[in-house]
Amino acid sequence: MEEEIMGMMIGGLAIVCLFIGLPWVIFHYVTKWKTAATLTQSDEKLLDELHDAARRLDDRICSIERIMDAENPQWRQNCLPGRTESRRLLADEDLRHG
Amino acid sequence: MANLQPPSRTRFYRDKRNGKFLGVCSGIADYTGFDVTLVRVVLVAAIIMGSGAPLLLYFIAAFMTPDKPREFALADNEEREFWQNVRASPTRTARDIRSRLRDIDRRLADIESYVTTQNRSLAQEIEQLR
Repeated sequence: MEEEIMGMMIGGLAIVCLFIGLPWVIFHYVTKWKTAATLTQSDEKLLDELHDAARRLDDRICSIERIMDAENPQWRQNCLPGRTESRRLLADEDLRHG
Repeated sequence: MANLQPPSRTRFYRDKRNGKFLGVCSGIADYTGFDVTLVRVVLVAAIIMGSGAPLLLYFIAAFMTPDKPREFALADNEEREFWQNVRASPTRTARDIRSRLRDIDRRLADIESYVTTQNRSLAQEIEQLR
């Protein structure tokens, strides 16, 4: 008798878990995912434009730097007299890596 | 129904042009940035281990996802990498762009200060010659 009641309780618990608990958990994560990962169409366009602008500006400055290097290879050293050595080395490193 | 949505960079598409069969593997590779061969090997291993169930998932994925829009197929490597980063973390990509713009600003400041100080010294020399 007692075992039967226990069995029914376990069965009921399993049904509750399956039909209420599981969908609850799934929908909880679905709603969470839907609110978190949203990059709208305009966001995407904005990111694209920013990336493009950064790349173009980068190219332009690169060509200007090349011209100035051709004119005077030491111009980086002259540009800011108070600048520390490490900063200059960093800038040179940047230049070397493109 | 999926084709009615406007083409989006952050959507998952099949990549039939670079695909072997239906393009799901190359779509995954294009979406995440993993190597295509690696994705295929993993899929084959999963099919063998999972006794064919991943094959069903493959067909479901192929049925549900549209093919890659033509305007995205012509992306160069740099652009593809950029969008992979965006899918992984838009915040980090935005931060990357900001740091790039800061770098540009710094370099421009270098150029500006060089040009202005150079002209000033030139003006001083002319002044001295007079």
